Amino acid sequence: MPRGPPASPGQSRPKSGKPCHSDPAEEDRGWRARHYPAMLRRLTRAATPRQRVFWARRSGSLAGVPTYVVDLRSDTVTKPGPAMRRAMAEAVVGDDDYGEDPTVRELQATAAELLGVERTLFVPTNTMANLISVMCHCRRRGSQLLLGHECHLHVYEQGGVAQIAGVHSHPLPDLPHGTLDLAELERLVTRGLGSPYHPVCELICLENTHSSSGGRVLPMEYLRQVHLLAQRYGVRVHLDGARLMNAAVALGVPPACIVEHCDSVSLCFSKGLGAPVGALVGGPKDFIEEAWRLRKALGGGMRQAGVLAAAALVGLADAEEMLQRDHQNAQRFARGLQELASPVCSVDPTAVETNMVMVRVDGLPPEELCRRLQAVSADEDTELALGKWAFVLRTLRTG
Amino acid sequence: MPRGPPASPGQSRPKSGKPCHSDPAEEDRGWRARHYPAMLRRLTRAATPRQRVFWARRSGSLAGVPTYVVDLRSDTVTKPGPAMRRAMAEAVVGDDDYGEDPTVRELQATAAELLGVERTLFVPTNTMANLISVMCHCRRRGSQLLLGHECHLHVYEQGGVAQIAGVHSHPLPDLPHGTLDLAELERLVTRGLGSPYHPVCELICLENTHSSSGGRVLPMEYLRQVHLLAQRYGVRVHLDGARLMNAAVALGVPPACIVEHCDSVSLCFSKGLGAPVGALVGGPKDFIEEAWRLRKALGGGMRQAGVLAAAALVGLADAEEMLQRDHQNAQRFARGLQELASPVCSVDPTAVETNMVMVRVDGLPPEELCRRLQAVSADEVAQTGRVVRVLLFPWAERSVRAVWHRGVSAQDTELALGKWAFVLRTLRTG
Repeated sequence: MPRGPPASPGQSRPKSGKPCHSDPAEEDRGWRARHYPAMLRRLTRAATPRQRVFWARRSGSLAGVPTYVVDLRSDTVTKPGPAMRRAMAEAVVGDDDYGEDPTVRELQATAAELLGVERTLFVPTNTMANLISVMCHCRRRGSQLLLGHECHLHVYEQGGVAQIAGVHSHPLPDLPHGTLDLAELERLVTRGLGSPYHPVCELICLENTHSSSGGRVLPMEYLRQVHLLAQRYGVRVHLDGARLMNAAVALGVPPACIVEHCDSVSLCFSKGLGAPVGALVGGPKDFIEEAWRLRKALGGGMRQAGVLAAAALVGLADAEEMLQRDHQNAQRFARGLQELASPVCSVDPTAVETNMVMVRVDGLPPEELCRRLQAVSADEDTELALGKWAFVLRTLRTG
Repeated sequence: MPRGPPASPGQSRPKSGKPCHSDPAEEDRGWRARHYPAMLRRLTRAATPRQRVFWARRSGSLAGVPTYVVDLRSDTVTKPGPAMRRAMAEAVVGDDDYGEDPTVRELQATAAELLGVERTLFVPTNTMANLISVMCHCRRRGSQLLLGHECHLHVYEQGGVAQIAGVHSHPLPDLPHGTLDLAELERLVTRGLGSPYHPVCELICLENTHSSSGGRVLPMEYLRQVHLLAQRYGVRVHLDGARLMNAAVALGVPPACIVEHCDSVSLCFSKGLGAPVGALVGGPKDFIEEAWRLRKALGGGMRQAGVLAAAALVGLADAEEMLQRDHQNAQRFARGLQELASPVCSVDPTAVETNMVMVRVDGLPPEELCRRLQAVSADEVAQTGRVVRVLLFPWAERSVRAVWHRGVSAQDTELALGKWAFVLRTLRTG
C-alpha cells in the first residue's frame, strides 16, 4: 500500500538523454531534445518491476511461461551479489572522516597501487570524482577546460564545472573513436597562451572508455600524444575513467599503464565493477589532500563508508573475469545481430570494443523499437535476447 | 603489512576545528588555530585500534587486565550493529538514479511522513543536505544567509555556501541556549529590504539540536517566532536537523511538530541514529525536484543506495528508545561529575538537554585532560583493577565536549566516570 504521494521524484522526472546515444553521423539534437524526456519517462515506467508483475498476473495465456528481463539500459543497474553483500555485512568500519575506517583505507591503498598513483580518495559517485578533479586542477579565475562535446562530464553532470566550480568549458567535436583532433586541441591550447584576452586553458579531460561513441577504448598512442602536448604547455590531463577497467581489460594492460599518461583519474565502482555505490579520485599526494577538502565541501565526506568500500574491493577482485565476459557477450550479440542482416537494425561488430553496442535503427523511431523489445519479456541470457530481437524484426517485416 | 604509503590522507591531515567550538564567553580563536591541528592529530592517532592493540601486547605487566575504550568524541563514530548489517545485506535495491531503488523510496516516504513534509531526498551526508538546501533557497545573485556564528554550517562545512553556491553569509552571535537574538535578526532582515545597496536576505538557518552550545534544544516558541518573522519579510527558514531526533525525543514531540516551523530540513542518519552513511533533505515537492538536480550536480546521485537506506530505516525504527537512553546516560554522567565537586572539572547538569555534556576545565589545558583520560598507567590498574580509555576532543580554551551515542552503554558511562575520578585524584596528588 502506498504511504501517500511517491517520495522519490525520480519516477516522474525526465531522464535527460541517459540511454539514448545516437549514431553521431545521424544526430538530430532537436528531435532528441523534444522527444527524449517523455519517451524516457514512459520507458522507465514500463521497466519498473511493479508494472511488469501486474501484467504477468493479468495475462492468463502466459501463465507458466518463464519470464525474463534483460536490462541493457546501462551497467549502472548492476546489483550486489551474495559475495558482495556478505563483504558489506562483515566489513570492519570506523569513522572515515577521522581517517579511521580500515576498509576504506584498504580500498584506497589497493586502488592507488592498481592505478599507479600516489593516493586515492573514495567518493560517493564518479560525477563527484570528476567535479573534484576539475576543481583541484582549475583554481584560478578564468580557468578553461577542453573536452569532447558528447562526453559524460560535459553533457550529463549538470554543468557542474560551471555552476559549482566557475570553470569555463570549450567542447571539441568527438571523433568516431572517442578521441579529439590533436591539431585542433593544440590550436585551442596555444591560442590563449600568454594573452590576457583569453581564458587560461588549465585542463584537458579525456574519457576512457568513451561512452557516447559506444564504449570505445582510447588508443594508447593517442593518450601519450595528448599528455605530451599538455605537458609542453603546462596544461593538466584528467581522465574520466568511469569505465577504465573495461579499457584495461580490452587492451590487456594494467590500468596503471593507461593512467600514467594522465595527471589525475576517476574510477567508478558502481558500473561494470558491480558495487552498489562508490567511485574514487586518484592522483598525487597534494592533489588528494586538496581533494579531501573539496569532498567535504561538496558533502561527500561519509562516515562508516567501509560498508561501501568492502563491496568495491569485491568488485575490483573479479573485475578482469567479469568484464571480459561482458565484452564477449557484447561481441556475440553484435555478430548475431549482424547475421540477421536486417535493414531495420544494423551494427558494426568491429566497433564493439568493450561492453557497449550501438545499433543503428532505420525505418522506425528508436523509441518504438525499445517499446517492442521490452513489451513482452526478455532473458538475461544473451542468446535469448538475440532471439527476441530477431522475433521483433520478423514481425516488423511482416507488418 | 602496510602496502606502501598510507592511502588515506585522513590520518595525517589537520582536522581544522572540528571539535573546537568555544564557549562564546571564552573564545580564543588564535590559540585554537595554533594548537588544535597538531593536538587532534595526536589524539586521532592515539585513538586508532591498531595502536591500542600494539600497546597492549607490548606492556607485559598489563596482560590480562580488562581494558575498556569509551569513545565520547562524537556520535558520528557509531558503527552499524547486527540488525543494521543484516538489513543492509538483505536490502532490495535498484538504480536510484532512475528512481528504481525500492528501499530508498521506502525511506524517503517514511521520512516524509515522520517530518511532515511533502518530499524527502536521500543524500550521502548532512553537509550535502545543508548545501543543497541553501542552493535551493538562495538562487539569485546577491543572496544573503543569516545564521549563528558557531553553527556547524558556518564553521565546519568548508564555507561551501560561498565557495560552491556563491551565497553571502552574515553570522550572528549564538546565545547560550543555541538561539539567536530575535531583535537583531529582525534588524538584519529589514536593513536591506527594498534597498539596492544591500545583499538580499533570503534564508535563515537554524540548528537543532545546537551542537556548539552542547546539544541544546531550540525552544518551540523561539522556532515559531523566527518563522513568523521570516514569513513577514519573505525570507525562508532552513533547519539543520542533523540531530533533530535528539530534539524531538528531548521535547517528547513528533519531529513534524518541530519541522512545521521551517521551510526545509536536513536530517542525519549517521550520528545518533547509528547508520554508517546517509542523510536527507525534506521540503515541498518543487523544492525537492530542484534538490534532485543539485544532488546530481554535486555528485550525490548514488545508484543502489538502498544498501544505505536500509540501515537508515533500522536507525529510525529504534531512534526513540536509543536516543532516550543516550540522553539518560549523558545526564547520569553530568550528575556524577558534579558530585565529584572538583575545582578542575565542572559541569552544569541543567544544561544537559540531550546527548552532549560540556565540561569546563580549569587549571590545566583541555588537551592535557584529554590525554590523561585516554592514557593508561600501572597506577590506574593498582587503584581500580582495570584500564579505561576515555576518548574526547578538547572543545575550547577551557572546555571539553563529551557526546553519548548507542556505542556507549550505562556501564561504559560509569567506567568513564571512574576514569575521570581517577584522573582528578591524580591531579590533586600531583
